[in-house]
Amino acid sequence: MTTQKISDSPIDFAEKIIRDVKNSKEDGVLKCVQCGMCTSTCPAARHSDYNPRDIIERVLEGDETIIEDDCIWNCFYCYTCHSVCPVGNSVCEVNQILKQIAIESGIGYDKLYEYMGFADSYFTAAIGAIPERFFADIDRDVPGWWDFRQNLDEIRKELDLDPPLMPSREVIDEVSTILTITGFKDKIERIRQSEEDENEERTD
Amino acid sequence: MRDDLKVGVFLCECGGNISDIIDLDKVREELDVDFIGQFENLCSLNGRKIIRDAIFDHDLDRVVVAACSPISHEKTFQDYVKPLNPYLMDMANIREQCSWVHDDHDLATQKALTLINASIEKVKQSDAVDPIYCQTPEEVAVIGGGIAGMNAALSLAKQGTKVTLIEQSPSIGGHMAKIGKVFSPVKIAEECGMCLLNPILNELVWNENIEVLTNTKVIEAERRAGTYNLILEKSPRYVDTERCIACGKCAEACEVEVPNDWNDNLSMRKAIYRPFGQSYPEAYVIDMDNCTKCSNCVKACTMKAIKLRGRAERIPLQVGSVVVATGHKLFDMEKRPEYGYTRYDDVITQSELGRITGVNGPTKGKLLKSNGEVPKRVVMIQCVGSRDEKPDGHRYCSKICCTVALKNANIIKHKYPDTDVLICYTDVRTPGMFEKYYKHTQENEVRFLRGRPGEVVRKGDNFIVRTEDTLKGEFVEIEADMVVLSTAMEPSEGTKEIAEILNVGITEDGFIKESHPKIKPVATDVQGIFVCGTAHEPKDITDSIMQATAAAAKVNEYNYGGVEIEPFIAEIDTEKCIVCGDCINRCKYKSMSIQNDQIYIDPMSCTGCGKCLVGCKQRAITVNGNIDEKILSTIKGVLSKKRPGQRMILVFLDNIGYTAADNIGVNRLSYPESIHIIKVISVNRVTPKHIHYALDNGADGVFIGEFPGDLMYDEVERKIQRVKDRIVEMGQNPDRITFSKVYIPYFSGLARKFTEFDAEISQLDGK
Repeated sequence: MTTQKISDSPIDFAEKIIRDVKNSKEDGVLKCVQCGMCTSTCPAARHSDYNPRDIIERVLEGDETIIEDDCIWNCFYCYTCHSVCPVGNSVCEVNQILKQIAIESGIGYDKLYEYMGFADSYFTAAIGAIPERFFADIDRDVPGWWDFRQNLDEIRKELDLDPPLMPSREVIDEVSTILTITGFKDKIERIRQSEEDENEERTD
Repeated sequence: MRDDLKVGVFLCECGGNISDIIDLDKVREELDVDFIGQFENLCSLNGRKIIRDAIFDHDLDRVVVAACSPISHEKTFQDYVKPLNPYLMDMANIREQCSWVHDDHDLATQKALTLINASIEKVKQSDAVDPIYCQTPEEVAVIGGGIAGMNAALSLAKQGTKVTLIEQSPSIGGHMAKIGKVFSPVKIAEECGMCLLNPILNELVWNENIEVLTNTKVIEAERRAGTYNLILEKSPRYVDTERCIACGKCAEACEVEVPNDWNDNLSMRKAIYRPFGQSYPEAYVIDMDNCTKCSNCVKACTMKAIKLRGRAERIPLQVGSVVVATGHKLFDMEKRPEYGYTRYDDVITQSELGRITGVNGPTKGKLLKSNGEVPKRVVMIQCVGSRDEKPDGHRYCSKICCTVALKNANIIKHKYPDTDVLICYTDVRTPGMFEKYYKHTQENEVRFLRGRPGEVVRKGDNFIVRTEDTLKGEFVEIEADMVVLSTAMEPSEGTKEIAEILNVGITEDGFIKESHPKIKPVATDVQGIFVCGTAHEPKDITDSIMQATAAAAKVNEYNYGGVEIEPFIAEIDTEKCIVCGDCINRCKYKSMSIQNDQIYIDPMSCTGCGKCLVGCKQRAITVNGNIDEKILSTIKGVLSKKRPGQRMILVFLDNIGYTAADNIGVNRLSYPESIHIIKVISVNRVTPKHIHYALDNGADGVFIGEFPGDLMYDEVERKIQRVKDRIVEMGQNPDRITFSKVYIPYFSGLARKFTEFDAEISQLDGK
């Protein structure tokens, strides 16, 4: 049993999320009636214990421990929940806000660490690219994907398409400069460092 | 000349309500008029004698009654001043707006004197005018021949009113005819809908006061002094209803087969057909869009009732009032492809399920899938298109779908106890007695799952309904071989069309808007037009019938009572008017039109707001009752009593704001004595000239309040902003003018705004 004290204000957590700059749905969170339509169409819910409806339920209960829950990292921003919600809420955006709060609280660096290859690609190519470490998983889930990727140039040629347009060296330099000045570079280094420190501790 | 008028003032003590606070002796001393009377209860019959005798004895031309609010007793005193014209009397409200809101005797007495003086100056500008009485024709048009329209027509006819019932399809009966079974929450049982509808239909057909026009639509409507001139268009039936005996030989001979829309296209019919077994008129009809004109039917008809040629006929109809009962349609399932309705035959709507389970339906009442087998599991999905903010969805709850699903689930369970029925819901809404039927449904082993499915997909021979069981917090895939969608109710095309033709207001959802959702649920924005049934909002048969009979009662109130209208409305000087039509476009209340090459103003819809005056280049429009001068004189009357150093704020309110201000007094709240309220017929009649005059001649502040529901609200708000901009140019402080929303129930807010505005003005003066 839990007790709600007169001084408790569970709605504060939802309000904090509503005020976040990333939230585009105004009071959508507050209008949730827990119908579960988001969960019924969510790919993450079908394949993991992630449950978008439950995310909103916990937010509305003021359960801030949700930022420590591993499940929030299972959402991959397909935005299906965002487009099907009958009351105009977006669990996807709420999820992004929760992750941001988690990161600010020093939680989830290990989750981000897996995506460092993605961040690196902005410096090497000025676009986001799938980190190599996921190739094996994708090939397993999407049969034929690896062949497709290997032969992409030929396939395009066969279809009479130009080679993919990639950013020029100048653009790459410019993007790198922006990411450095704005602190993105420091941030990924911090994440990398903290994860590597932890790995060392583990091996110690 | 107006200054020579003999004015009498009558002071009411109101049993101490007024005289305990206001020193009436002092008031009498200070007044300079031809006669002053005083009594403890002026509204009593003795009061009448005092007023009447004084009018005779002193040859009074004008009367001021200083007493309670005109909202309480204006009608009383208008009667007491006979033989004077009722509009030559004015009331100074020294109770609700003085003795009940102030407790400082000196200041209250000074304010009472100011208010009385304002009334004296105002009443000198009053002219004798007569109220306008409008009697409307008694004939009524009921538009829509469903259960609501039929009941409204029948109720009116039984009360002796002549009714024309207009139905666009070939038969009256509406949705109820095809619904199959109905249930009532008290009788825990389903019964035959047609068997309930038929007696009403028969009674209606035999009633001599009702003329039924099928295949007929209203295509034009024009309103003039409470009379509606409708133009109807009656499409040809190609079958003479007088001759046809509905033997059906024509349909046997017809070789054209098309989907039967009355059976939700689940079966076929011929191009010559009868909509359903009990349809009225009892005659066949030709669907000319599909007819090949082969003449087989003409040859087969022994009654010589069929003519393959025909033209639409235009019928003029003059009525005094109109009942809109144009009903609803169901949500278009093409807008929700995720449920597979357009791809799979066995994904159907509740309406189609009603046809399938109906004994007069495509399967003669057997629940069969498209392959002819009885389904093993039927999954029903609720809230399809309702409670849905997605594009094309409706935010509202369609109100009947929960109980419709329960009913159809029970019907399935009665006949096929082995078929599993599962209802996927977000909330089961069964208010009142319907809750008993919900429990009954559970006892019938119908299952419920709380979750709103996201999609229906085909897998092998079955469907998969994907949903979350939200009570368990578990994603589930449910196998089903029939899926039934509970689709939203939305306004029918006919409802949207008639709203435009009659110019009645609609809600944001497209339903016909009632004039007040709480206390005027069958009247519309337009006098003489009433609404009932699902044209108004989603509702069930019982509610539709109740609203239909309520609409009938309201029509008769209107027919017998006639309408008395205050005469302060616009008038056209036809000598000056060049019929440019500018005023027609300006009028927010749509009261102006061109009749016989002249501008005609409908006294029933004109509010006297004066918007038309401003644009008239010919200066051909006046508003009766000398309104401009009355407002100006009232302002002068207030300001002439200003004493050195006294703060004076003028507040302009129309009937709604004035009622709110009265409520402050009734509830004995208070506000500063600087507040002087001036009642105007429309806030729009307060012109920049009035405001400039007030500020130039001693007013320290001007407060204008308007009800946001008034059609002129935005206009007035913009106007006040312009006045503010202008007075900056003239070197005055725009903060001396304020515009505020007023609501009758929110009187405490108004009192607070008065107090705050007084404080703001006092700060301005302090600087």
